[in-house]
Amino acid sequence: MNQKLNLSAGPHVRDIWSTSFIMRMVLLALTPATVIGVITFGLHALWVILASVITAVLTELVFDKLTGKPDTWKDGSAAVTGLMLALTLSAETPLYAPVIGSIFAILVVKCAFGGLGKNFVNPALAARCFLLISFSNAMTVYGIDGVASATPCAELAAGRTVDITSMFLGSANGVIGGSILGLLVGGLALWAFDIIHGQICFSVLGGFTLFMALFGGQGFDPGFLAAHLCGGGVVLGAFFMATDYVTSPMSRLGQTFYGALIGVLGALFRIKGQSADSFSYSIIVANLFVPLIDTYIVDKPYAFRKRALKLRSGEAKKPLSQRIPKPVIALSVIALLSGLALSGVFSMTKSTIDEQKNAAAAAAYKTVLPEAESFASFSDKVEFLGGEVYGTGYGRVYIKDALVGKDAAGNVVGYAVSVTSAEGYDGNVTLSIGVNTEGVINGISFTELHETPGKGMLCGEPAFMDQFAGKAADKLKLGEDVDGITGVTITSKAVVNAVNAGLDFINTQLRGE
Amino acid sequence: MNITFRGGVHPKGRKELSRNATLHRFDPPPGEMVFPLAQHIGKPAKAIVKKNDPVLVGQKLAEADGFVSACVISSCSGTVKAVEKRRTIAGIMSECVVVENDGQYTPIAGLGQRQETVGITNQDILDRVRNAGIVGLGGAGFPTHVKLAPKAPDQIRYLIANGAECEPYLTCNDQLMRSHASGIVEGLELTLQLFDNAECVIGIEDNKPEAIAAMRQAISGKRRMRVLPLHTKYPQGGERSLIRVIAGVDFPVSMLPADVGCIVLNVGTAYAIGRAVAWNEPLFEHVLTVTGEAVQTPSNFIARDGTTFAQLLEACGGVKAGVTPKKALSGGPMMGVAVASLDVPIQKNTNALTLLADDRVEKAEAEMTACLHCGRCSTICPNGLVPALMADAINMKNWERYETKLYGLECIACGSCTYICPARRPLTQMFKQTKAEILARKRAAQAGGKK
Repeated sequence: MNQKLNLSAGPHVRDIWSTSFIMRMVLLALTPATVIGVITFGLHALWVILASVITAVLTELVFDKLTGKPDTWKDGSAAVTGLMLALTLSAETPLYAPVIGSIFAILVVKCAFGGLGKNFVNPALAARCFLLISFSNAMTVYGIDGVASATPCAELAAGRTVDITSMFLGSANGVIGGSILGLLVGGLALWAFDIIHGQICFSVLGGFTLFMALFGGQGFDPGFLAAHLCGGGVVLGAFFMATDYVTSPMSRLGQTFYGALIGVLGALFRIKGQSADSFSYSIIVANLFVPLIDTYIVDKPYAFRKRALKLRSGEAKKPLSQRIPKPVIALSVIALLSGLALSGVFSMTKSTIDEQKNAAAAAAYKTVLPEAESFASFSDKVEFLGGEVYGTGYGRVYIKDALVGKDAAGNVVGYAVSVTSAEGYDGNVTLSIGVNTEGVINGISFTELHETPGKGMLCGEPAFMDQFAGKAADKLKLGEDVDGITGVTITSKAVVNAVNAGLDFINTQLRGE
Repeated sequence: MNITFRGGVHPKGRKELSRNATLHRFDPPPGEMVFPLAQHIGKPAKAIVKKNDPVLVGQKLAEADGFVSACVISSCSGTVKAVEKRRTIAGIMSECVVVENDGQYTPIAGLGQRQETVGITNQDILDRVRNAGIVGLGGAGFPTHVKLAPKAPDQIRYLIANGAECEPYLTCNDQLMRSHASGIVEGLELTLQLFDNAECVIGIEDNKPEAIAAMRQAISGKRRMRVLPLHTKYPQGGERSLIRVIAGVDFPVSMLPADVGCIVLNVGTAYAIGRAVAWNEPLFEHVLTVTGEAVQTPSNFIARDGTTFAQLLEACGGVKAGVTPKKALSGGPMMGVAVASLDVPIQKNTNALTLLADDRVEKAEAEMTACLHCGRCSTICPNGLVPALMADAINMKNWERYETKLYGLECIACGSCTYICPARRPLTQMFKQTKAEILARKRAAQAGGKK
């Protein structure tokens, strides 16, 4: 025994879990959502993912080499950032966006602040917001296999019904990492294996749901809440972004507070804000609170807590370890949710959303036909159309509803129709038109207008709307009968087309009844 | 699943190396035997022998100096060679009695004779424990006669016998419980006499089924005694973890177990109490495991104090062929202390020599990354502390926050946070050092205040 023995302070053994092991586990947990994303959105989604991940790792590698830092690119954290960024992007994003985003995330947000463990906001989300601001056009093109359409979240914001089942499974339009099923499988697995803190993800979901139910305008409607939970990155944010170790608090209480803050801000931004990206912003804002939370909210040792075990004469309580193991809970939740989604239970809730919309429509009818005391529906005529595009030359317009207005004595005073044009600049434009018995337009009223503020939204101003009142033509012409708004051609056109389709429907279908 | 405390870690047990190696006595060959005077917490003992004095097995070499102190007993016969500074396990030079062992092991008169214990007074029991030089054999080495004399003995509700042996690699207490169950129970029964209102609970981790069975058999028919199988988890055998499980009490480090109505004794200590009180045999030998991947035949010994690690390793067949030992630990890998040389004498509270073929710390230093704030340390801390924030406070030299907001002094240095940290930060090590520094500063401030 003449060998030299090592001397160091104990303990002398270490757990197998290392930083890179945890990063690999997170990558693994993101795999289901990634795979579903690539299957749903096609090969271009894969290029976006690869561009993002490879750029992220290369950026850190180059930074390490240039600054002579230890090889931190190997620890897998750069790959996680790259993959998370890619999952928040549309599959239609041009490839320069993930490349620039990853460079920004790694170089500016992470490395410039001291590398792993030192960034103060989530790098992937910071990069996403950076891209949204810098390349807002390229970033908001969503579509499946090159066919652009509105995302469920935009539809939801527009008050329309969405297919929750397809959102849950991941076949709905949106970002690459949009499959709630895939995200839940990974996220709950991370929670079950104690890699992420349940306090954070569940308080995010809880805070969001509660705030949405209280202030979302539709109460505790399960279909409405489920649709909001499934859309706009709530699940991706709750399980993968908010739980990022570096930018979340350490103490249980702090984590719960932080999670609830994200949930509430996310819901608030979604209700009041213009953008569908409420969750990216709410997480980043909450990230900024973390140093403050960690300074003031710290878990006390067990012996100093209010609920500390105190001297008792009886036997020790049954320990917490006899709870149901987490993996069992996680599996059950996934199985239950998948079952619900597949059996289409969620679609039952569609009708309640429709009812809410009808109430809004009724108010609009009152505005455009003020003389009418009561309305009788011509829903059979609308149903006859079968939800098809109405007529020709109006673009993609749909007749949603048709009514005849009567005064107190029961005499017909006019007609009202609700028309939707799908050719607004940002999704649908829905309006009600009131026409008196002589065929003169009484007025129009928007029930759905989600255009660009300062541009398309000007169509909702009296200056534009009031032009329609008193017009009696069969077909109005933009620029002649109605002055369009400069620079708002698309919306103006959609509105005029919708009005014309409505007039045509009234003239051909309702009058003389 | 058996009952347990909050937090904790599951390091590899590696107990299979030696768990079935039965205890055997090891008598070192003639030569030097070294007995440090400071083998316990408290004031070092005062030597009562001088050079060339003849000594016998069981003879007192040094007397306790004050109340919190313990005497030192010779484990061999021969002559005193010197009373001088020698290198001890702690790596420092410390005052020791050196005896030239004649290899005869001639006992002192009356050693090992059965004593009458029926009707023995409590004071008698405490005196015999004190004269036997018994200290806590779990590791800390707190003088047992002090522990057994709390301010209010009738308020003690639990006498906890610690047979958890949660430290990885160690198996000597397992073997002791398997083969000397009745001896342990004898010591516990005598101790229980001191505490009228207490129940004796023997806590054993459920990875030792044979020990649980043996202890259950040994207590059958005894009043106020039961065996409690515990979930296998580190640090289940920590004093505070056991109290949390058995008495259901969380208490700060400023309080002693006796303050919450508990006395915790290692099973080895209980056995020593039985031997001392009922058999007139003071503490000069105890169980010890020699194990590790670098040991030829891992074994469990009843070893005499003063034997060197090198002698014990030789008795195990030496270093395993083809393996280079990287690190030698006095104790197990969680709480053990690395020793630079194996030529140091074992003392009362030495429970193992672990010879590792692989130094995990060396690798950990290479793997170290920045703290991720993943919170694993806080999840597993058996005291509910937040080690990552404590480390941040140390880095910012914010002692005020460390002590008052983060309760840094509550750390019991169990090592769990260092074990679990995926970034391989040396957390426990920082906390031990900081605690020592803060306490030293406080003492200095107090001393300054007195002037």
